[in-house]
Amino acid sequence: MSTDTDSVDLVDDLTVGHVAQAALIAAFVGAGAYVSFPIPFSAVPVTLQVLGVFLAGIVLGPVWGVVSMLLYLTVGAIGLPVFAGGGAGLGTLLGPTAGYLWSYPIAAGLIGAVVHRGTDLRDPADVSLPVIVGALVAGTVVIYALGVAGLVAVAGYELAGAVSAGALVFVPGEVLKTAVAAAIAKSGALPTR
Amino acid sequence: MVTYEPGPSLAHEFDPRAKLAFQTGFAVAAFGRGTLPGLAAVTLVALAALAAARLSPLRALVAFRFPLLLLALSPVFAAVRLGPPWLDFGAAVDPALASYRVVPVLLVSAAYVRTTPVRESRAALQRVVPGKAGRVLGAGTAIAVRFFPVLLADLRRTREAMAVRLGDERALGERLRVTALAGVTRAFDRADRLSLALRARCFAWNPTLPALRFRRRDAALCVIAVLLALSPLI
Repeated sequence: MSTDTDSVDLVDDLTVGHVAQAALIAAFVGAGAYVSFPIPFSAVPVTLQVLGVFLAGIVLGPVWGVVSMLLYLTVGAIGLPVFAGGGAGLGTLLGPTAGYLWSYPIAAGLIGAVVHRGTDLRDPADVSLPVIVGALVAGTVVIYALGVAGLVAVAGYELAGAVSAGALVFVPGEVLKTAVAAAIAKSGALPTR
Repeated sequence: MVTYEPGPSLAHEFDPRAKLAFQTGFAVAAFGRGTLPGLAAVTLVALAALAAARLSPLRALVAFRFPLLLLALSPVFAAVRLGPPWLDFGAAVDPALASYRVVPVLLVSAAYVRTTPVRESRAALQRVVPGKAGRVLGAGTAIAVRFFPVLLADLRRTREAMAVRLGDERALGERLRVTALAGVTRAFDRADRLSLALRARCFAWNPTLPALRFRRRDAALCVIAVLLALSPLI
């Protein structure tokens, strides 16, 4: 056993809270992949995973939202089965769904930056509905644009095939998730820092 | 699903940093190869990695059924035509080769996951990523791994509680809202309690990490990783 004999460098109280929140939201996004709800007239069920990405941006803001999503990708890469369908491993981050996964930090950062207009967080219930919906739509566009790009680059899809297999089938679910995330943000029930 | 299992295999003995380097070098080699002989060679290396981890290839493939389905659809989409001749197999060759490159990479990452405990991966990450970024990554990863099953149980309990109150007859949007809000609220409650506990126990930037031993065999694995990464240039 080795022991670190340097003096103890304490983490300041605010950062402890931020790290804990970012890690817990990362775990929530991972757990959300296992909670699926069937949608009528659609073969693809809705999971809480992308909803978790939206909420990470809204509750954690642009800085810690990004950190949280990077933690999510890291725990998946080292083997916790947090990716869609219980996937894990570095290979998944380089596989056909790589575009979607790598877009999560960008989407959470973008949503956080638009909702909070900077790094100082404000109560999402005070933000106007069009701003929240705009942020969520922009985040969704980022996720699916990068997801489709990943399918084209990694799996050799043609653009039309990638858009139909990787984006259009998810549209009903995404519309619903955007509405739900906006309702949650405006409800005033979300925890704030 | 492939997760870590303790065992006596050769792959268990390697340092996680060497295994991470090998995965990276292997991915570069696999993505740099577009020809059939090249892909056959990387497949053999991937099967050797699985054998070293004593993991059955079939079990690894089943664990990746979701990405494999997406990969399999790519040549199908390329081959189907909306008119005569309906199926153009020639057009499917390139997408099939492009898709197949990913399969050995997935298999090698399964071998890593099967043979590396999370705490060793965390220690490796914290040593490889410098400064406070590495420390936040290390601590955050450890916390997220610990709380993942707890939050999953929270979400399942919320759904069960909703179902026994006939809440599963509500509209889909309403069910999603209730479950997601309960999940985030629980996550924040747990984060608050955890951060209080961490502060009470003097949570530090420089914790004592599990010891990692980088031996000659790990250096050899790193050399193989570099050679693999350079192999597409040959």
